[in-house]
Amino acid sequence: MITLNLNVNGKDHRLEIEDHMRLLDVIRGPLGLTGTKEGCGEGECGACTVILDGNAVDSCLVLAAQCEGKKIVTIEGLETADGLDPVQQAFLDNGAVQCGYCIPGMVLSAKALLDKNVAPDDNEIKEAISGNLCRCTGYDKMVKAIKTASEVMQERGEQK
Amino acid sequence: MLKRGRGIALSWYGTGYGNGFPDYSVATVELAENGEILLRVGATEVGQGSKTIMPQVCAEVLGIHSDQVHMICEDTREFLDSGTAAASRQTYNTGNAVLKASESFKKALLEEARLYLKLNSTAGLEMADQKIWLPIFPSRKTTFAELASHLKSEGRVLAVTDSFTAQTIGMNPETGEGVPYWPYTFNAYGTEVEVDTETGRVQVLQAWCVQDVGRAINPDLVEGQIDGGFVMGLGYALYEDLGVKDGVIKNNKFAKYIIPTAMDIPTIHKYIVEDPENTAPYGAKGIGEPTMVPVAPAILNAIYDAIGIRIFELPATPDVVLKAIVADREAKAKAAVAEGADANG
Ligand code: FES
Ligand code: FES
Repeated sequence: MITLNLNVNGKDHRLEIEDHMRLLDVIRGPLGLTGTKEGCGEGECGACTVILDGNAVDSCLVLAAQCEGKKIVTIEGLETADGLDPVQQAFLDNGAVQCGYCIPGMVLSAKALLDKNVAPDDNEIKEAISGNLCRCTGYDKMVKAIKTASEVMQERGEQK
Repeated sequence: MLKRGRGIALSWYGTGYGNGFPDYSVATVELAENGEILLRVGATEVGQGSKTIMPQVCAEVLGIHSDQVHMICEDTREFLDSGTAAASRQTYNTGNAVLKASESFKKALLEEARLYLKLNSTAGLEMADQKIWLPIFPSRKTTFAELASHLKSEGRVLAVTDSFTAQTIGMNPETGEGVPYWPYTFNAYGTEVEVDTETGRVQVLQAWCVQDVGRAINPDLVEGQIDGGFVMGLGYALYEDLGVKDGVIKNNKFAKYIIPTAMDIPTIHKYIVEDPENTAPYGAKGIGEPTMVPVAPAILNAIYDAIGIRIFELPATPDVVLKAIVADREAKAKAAVAEGADANG
């Protein structure tokens, strides 16, 4: 057992965990945040994507012990008192969601991209979500949704 | 060398279980205590949108907003079975059951209103926005909520169930006669591809998907189905290979079983064709599977247009395409040598 300090969705946690646990296990297990999905468990599908210190990562490939003192954002952490995150809202408005299994990871990959580059072109968007597999939507409406979110975020940025 | 080509393919596809098999769906429409509507339907929502369009159908019949219809489809204690979310059948088959149940419910609700308003008949009663009234004597009026609390005071619940069974006639194996499916969905898809003749890699640059849907109950969802079907067809045509050998699946991981990513998708131009089917709920037909059918042939035809070689193996992965290109080159070289020998001799 080891002690792990994590900041998850803005809240500090001090956890006793097994040495071998993956970040994904900690998120879904002791933290109970089941919005993060396990698809393949080997870094191929992106269903387990979370944002770790600003970068989208496959939480199934990260050993929890490596995350001491780090900041993690999961899908549960995107909504604020002002409502849904612009990426979440844009996915809804564009009909970019079907079965939903890939969506938490997809939204977080898009969010990590837009936080770094608020005005990406189509290729940058496609590249940013290319590690997230979706069997249902054909990606087209997702790319459109991420463009919509980018526009909303740019407008908000200008207003500030 | 990069070579471009375009190809088209058309398909027609029978939806539902078909072949005389009884394809049965059932729905229950119930007045909730607050005057809103409960729609009990055993049609599984797997992302295709049945939980969106079934309430739309019910709301259309009752003249209310679809937000006022609450569909229950998760707990099998709460509704009757409406069959699988398969065979592209829910929109047509279960949609028809919802339509019939909603119409029967409307009749029953008007009858309750007649009794409550002490009228001779339901003739001339109007229903809209959760209200029922008699235009020739407007003070005779009530609301769904008022009727609901009246029913509750009498210890009654108004719930109406109705069903739909699709009409198909099994094929006679001797004569081939029958009507194996009803209805059929039609489409015409086109693609533009680029083939790299050095590597055999095929990329789809653009797609045009013209899809008959009967009637688009929810155009956004229809487009989503077209996108998803096209991209699944793209994977089938170019990437996805289970690699079954001696009954064992070799490609049993996403690292080896390659499905399209966002980087592989072309611009998809979508055209919805509405030609209402007269036995369907508001004319709407299913398109779940049909959207996938013409994709592989449209892509293979485009490859042929680009390089003049027919590919007969799926998926048309780079090694398959390259092998065909090399074989074609060798065959042409041999023919040239033979021709040269002929000319010299
Ligand atoms: S579960 Fe982590 S990438 Fe698939
Ligand atoms: S919405 Fe079903 S996998 Fe993406």
